[in-house]
Parts: sequence; C-alpha cells; structure tokens
Amino acid sequence: MHRALRAVAGGVVGTLVLGFFLLVLDTQARGALSVAGVVARFLGVPGRPVLAVALFVALAVVGWPALFVAVEEYLPFGPDPAARGVVFAAVIGIVFVVVGRGAISGPILVLYVGFAMLAHLAYGFALGSVYGRLAR
Amino acid sequence: MIGGGVVLAVLGVLLVALGTQFLRTKGWSALARPDGGYLPGGETGVQHEEKQAGLLRWLTTVDHKDIGILYLVFGTVAALWGGTEAMMMRTELLTPQADVWTAATYNGLFTTHGITMLFFFATPVFFGIGNYFLPLLLDADDMAFPRINAIGFWMLPPALLLARAGLPADALGKILSTVGIHIPILDVLHPPETGWTLYAPLSIQTTNPQVDLLLLGLHLSGIATTLGAINFIVTVVAERGEGVGWDNVDIFSWTMLSTSGVVLFAFPLLGSAVIMMLLDRNFGTTFYLVEGGGPILWQHLFWFFGHPEVYIIFLPATGLVSTILPKFSGRRLFGFRFIVYSTLAIGVLSFGVWAHHMFTTGIDPRVRASFMFVSLAIAVPSAVKVFNWLSTMYDGRIRLTAPMILSVGSVGTFIIGGVTGVFLAAIPIDLIYHDTQYVVGHFHFIIMGIIAMMMLAASYYWYPIITGRMYDQRLARLQAALTIAGVPVTFGSMLVMGALGLPRRYADYPTQFATLQQVASVGAFVIGVGALLWLWNMVQSYRVGPRVRDADVWNLKESGQFTREWQWFEEQLDERYAADGGETDD
Ligand code: HEM
Ligand SMILES: [Cu+2]
Repeated sequence: MHRALRAVAGGVVGTLVLGFFLLVLDTQARGALSVAGVVARFLGVPGRPVLAVALFVALAVVGWPALFVAVEEYLPFGPDPAARGVVFAAVIGIVFVVVGRGAISGPILVLYVGFAMLAHLAYGFALGSVYGRLAR
Repeated sequence: MIGGGVVLAVLGVLLVALGTQFLRTKGWSALARPDGGYLPGGETGVQHEEKQAGLLRWLTTVDHKDIGILYLVFGTVAALWGGTEAMMMRTELLTPQADVWTAATYNGLFTTHGITMLFFFATPVFFGIGNYFLPLLLDADDMAFPRINAIGFWMLPPALLLARAGLPADALGKILSTVGIHIPILDVLHPPETGWTLYAPLSIQTTNPQVDLLLLGLHLSGIATTLGAINFIVTVVAERGEGVGWDNVDIFSWTMLSTSGVVLFAFPLLGSAVIMMLLDRNFGTTFYLVEGGGPILWQHLFWFFGHPEVYIIFLPATGLVSTILPKFSGRRLFGFRFIVYSTLAIGVLSFGVWAHHMFTTGIDPRVRASFMFVSLAIAVPSAVKVFNWLSTMYDGRIRLTAPMILSVGSVGTFIIGGVTGVFLAAIPIDLIYHDTQYVVGHFHFIIMGIIAMMMLAASYYWYPIITGRMYDQRLARLQAALTIAGVPVTFGSMLVMGALGLPRRYADYPTQFATLQQVASVGAFVIGVGALLWLWNMVQSYRVGPRVRDADVWNLKESGQFTREWQWFEEQLDERYAADGGETDD
C-alpha cells in the first residue's frame, strides 16, 4: 500500500482512539471543562466549537499523518513507527495542552493535562502501528 | 484562520526531528537503536499453526488459554476505568473544598471505583491467570468444562456495562444531543452514590434507575464468577494429568481451589440478597425495611458475602507470592504444607467474621465479641504465610528481578495492611476508626499492595509463556519500584488522616488535612504513571520485544524449579523452532 494511504489509514484509527479518550475526558470532567472549547482554542477559532471539532478531525485524519510521513525518518526511537508515532504525537500533545488550556486551572488541571496527553500518546501509537503494520 | 496551536505543533515536530538528526551526527546511538529493534511479523515471517483468524477466533474460542487472555484484557480495561476514577478522586481531594466537582460526583466516583475494582478487575484477573495456567500446572488438557468457561467469561462484559451504564449513557447522550437527538433514558441514568456496600435504606430510597441496572449487573457477574469457580474446582479435582497426584498439586492451584470454594458459598448469596433488594426497590416488598427484616438484615447478608469476597481476591495473590518468591530465592517454599493448611483455614474462617464490619451498628455485644475473636484468629494463618515467605528468603540466593521486587514489596505492604487490620478487629478500636480514612488506608495496603502488585508480578513472571517474547526488564523494575514507593505514600497518609479522625467518603475536608491529602494524591499519581509504564511495556513488547528461544528464561533449571508450565513452554518452543532448524527469524 502506498505510504500516504497507510498514513491516512493510521490517521483514521488514531482519530478514533483520540476521539475516544477526549470524549472520556469530557464526560469524566462532568462539565468542569469542555473539550470542544479546548480544541477551538488550539485551532485558533475560539467560540466556534462545531467548526473546531470538524477541523480537528480533518487535521487528525489527514494533516498529522501527512506530517508524520514527511518527518518519520528523522524521529527518534526508530525503526518502529509506533514508537516514533508516540514521540511525534507527544510534541503535538504538549502544544495542544498548553495552547488549549485557556482558563482551566486548579486541581482539574492535573486531570486535563494527564488525559489530553494520554489521548495524544495513544493517537501516535495507533497512527504509527497501523502505518507500520500495513507495510507488510 | 487556523491559529497558533497548529503552527506551533508543526514547528515542535520539526524541531524534534532536527534535534534527533543533530544528536545522531554526534553519535547518540540510543535514539536509533543499533540492534534495529524487532518489528512484528517482518519479511520472512513464517506463520505457525493458527486457529480461526481474527475476531471470530476470540468470539468463539473455548481454549482455556484464549479465555484466560480474554479475562486478562477485560480485567485490564476495568482496572484502567476504575483507576481513572481513583485519579479523579485524588484530584478532587487536592483541595479542601469540593471545588472540582460536586460532592454528588465524588459519591458516584467512590461507588463506581469500588465496584469496578472488586468485581470487574480483581476477580476476573485472577480467573484469567487461573484459566491460562491451572491446566498447564496440573497437566490437564483444558479446563473441565470449556464451553461453560466461555459462557462464564462472556457474561462479564454485559455485566460491566449494566453496572456502569451511567457513564456510557452520559457520553452517548452528549454525542446524540449535539446532532439534535434526545433520548430521555440517557439523561436519568446517573452513577449510583450508595457506596459499593449499597446499604439500605439509602439504596432502596434512591430513585436513580441506574441502581437497578447495577444490581442486575452484580447478579450477572455473580453467576459468571460462580460458573468459573465450579470449573476450577472440577478441573483441580478431576482433570489432573497422570503424574499429578494430590501430593504434588502446586501452591497456586491450591489457592485457586480454595478461592473457588469460597466463591461457591459467597456469590450465590450475594445474588439472592441483590434480588431481594431489587424487589424492595420495584415491587414493594419489605425485606430491608424497618417493617420487614430491617436495614441490618442487608448488612448481614451483604457482609456474609462481602468479607469472603476480600479473601476470594486475597488468596490467589498469596498463591502467586508462594509461587514466585521461591523461584528467585533459589529455595523451595518453606513449609509448603502449612501454607496449604493456612490457605484452607482462611477459606473456612472467612465465613465466620462478617460482623466485624458491623461493630458500630448496635448488634448484641455478645455476638460482637465472638466475631472479634474469630477475626483475631484469622490473623494467625495469615501470619503463618508471612513467616514462611520470610523463611523462604532467609539465606536464599535472592535475584531482584521485577517479579521478585514486586513479591518482596507485596509481603511488606501486606504486613502493614494485615497489622492495621488486626487493630480494626478489636472492637474498642474499631468503634473509633470505623468509617474513617484509616479503614480505606488499611484495605488499600492489601488491595493495591499485595493483590494488584502480585498481578503485576505474575504478568512479568509469565509474560514469555503468554507472548513468546520478553519485555523491557529495566523498565519493569522501575515500574515495580514506583508502585512499591507509591503505596505507602498514598495509603500511609490515609492511615494517618484516619487516625486523626478524618471520615471516609467525603469530597471536602477540614483545611488542616490539606498537606497530607496532597501527599496522598502525589503518591497516587506515581502509582498511576507506573501503571501506564506497565501498559506500554506489555503492549510494545508484545509487538517488538525480543523473541524468547530458550524456555528457561529465569534460570530455573539450575535450582531444580523448572516447573510444569515452563516445561510445557519448552515443548512449544521446540515444536515451533525445530521445524525450521532455528533459522527463522521474525
Ligand atoms: C492507585 C490506586 C488506588 C487509589 C489512589 C485509590 C483511591 C481510593 C480513594 C480515594 C477511595 C475513596 C476514599 C473515600 O473518600 O472514602 C477509594 C475507595 C475504594 N477503593 Fe480504591 N484506590 C486505588 C486502588 C484500588 C484497588 C486496586 C481496589 C480494589 C481491587 C480498590 C478498591 C476500593 C474500594 C472497595 C473502595 C471503597 C469504596 C466505597 O467507599 O464504597 N481501590 N479508593
Ligand atoms: Cu471483613
């Protein structure tokens, strides 16, 4: 399978995983924070959560995988693409957490940081492992 | 229009890529592993005998090893779910006010945490280990009733879903409402706030229909557990291989046998008690109302199940200590027979102590006193075990592998958990400590200490047999150390707070406890990070860990401890690699 297709397939699976974790964060937070709001701040479209979520899905399915294919060889902890994917997504996750934070503060910050990072690490792992598996 | 976040992320990724290249030119080899790693499958990947491929295999399997793995995966999912709730509680408790969530949410959290951990994590994981290894240890072809075995497992996922419907209903309702669909039932299902003990009259007066679903889920899980227990008993009694007489049944099988015996008497009782509560809630009966049996009746029935339940999950953990500890001490288990006797004794005595949970309810003082004596007596067989473990290590050739570190840590945490428990068994002390954080600290030293830690130890000890690969042992030792350090920090603080009088099951607390609470939370996060490291190690090693070629992973032949499950593994490896003359690589 072509690299780009493999990456997008990885992106789809990864997005499902990412979406699952973020949904868990949203429901577990019980209204104390809104993930859609975080995503909107991250994408620079605050106040427009529906648009933000749509854009975010597109980014996670196509955008990040494309970037991943481009830089894969240069990432650490190769040759396993899953391990590289985790590093890749960790960087994105850190930016996501920082930029998307907004006014979230107090103890819930711990949960927010932990879960948002976990969601991204799982995304990177899924992206990389599907990408690598389809290579055979 | 796409804002700074995305650009920053792209820049960050590029920076890491560039940095890595730079370090590589400087010869930093760790970032690109010289051994090249071991990708799964790979070019020459020879497929060996396969069962039904893919999903269908897992849905239809009756092989004890597959079912064992299903149990283990299920238990892990439940542990992560219940663990998330533990982390949420510790987050809420960082500040004295209930300012992250409401007090009601906190009530929901400890209820679902407790139920998930006990019924859907601890019991299934031990049943999974038992399913995988008991037939191997007993030289049996399979479990006695393979189909019942599969049915027993497959009742658990729906049971979990019933018991925990609140959260998925919430999530589903949220998704559907964004696209404009509204289903009323999804709005009324909230996590129950009764505590895992479901005490009447609160549990009967609560209108939340999720309580009914929870009761049904518990009932289903009880049936599943009983089926599994029957299977274990018949397997040990009737399916042993030719060379395995009663005289050389191994210690883990003995503990699974005892546990299953306890299950057989405890879980059906829970099932009946729960049905009576359902009737009280929905059909106007008065089993647990003042007009009928009274709320105390529920407590008696619940704890007649509840106390044995804690031994149901404790005994297999002791079996694992008795199995693993001697292997890395280079010595036979000291006093094997006494450990077996003490296990059986605990199994029987566990049914005679239930009212120690009810010392403060105003039951007859003479009844109370007799329960105090039995509760103190049950400490003796436990102490026998500890004595035997210590004697096994004494003068032994200790090898501090990850499973051994966890075993030693388990003995340590169990001593603290056990001794604090003896104090609670004394009526005058319990009257003061009842319903304080002291109790929560006490039982977590056992439940997170020896029980969860021995599960981790078993996963490290037998990992090669299950996956045919080895994991990152250094990471495993780090994880073991983090967990062992986290337990006393977290639960020791709870002991202290409880001794100072802080009650349990509250989202808020007086400000003077803030520091201790924060220490406890930090310890909990350390355990949480450790759990993630474990998960990473298990998953990643399953994919790319080095293949095991020599079945004697732990050098057990040297000390004559190459037991039956390893011998089985050796045969498997011989079969797998003999065909290609050991040439095939991944
Ligand atoms: C890092 C690990 C864990 C942490 C930090 C943790 C934390 C807690 C906390 C904060 C509470 C509530 C205290 C209160 O306000 O009353 C609690 C209750 C409880 N936990 Fe855990 N826990 C952990 C692991 C476990 C495990 C492994 C089990 C069982 C196998 C377990 C079983 C229970 C039970 C049965 C309760 C009582 C629930 C109730 O009051 O109804 N916990 N835990
Ligand atoms: Cu008890």
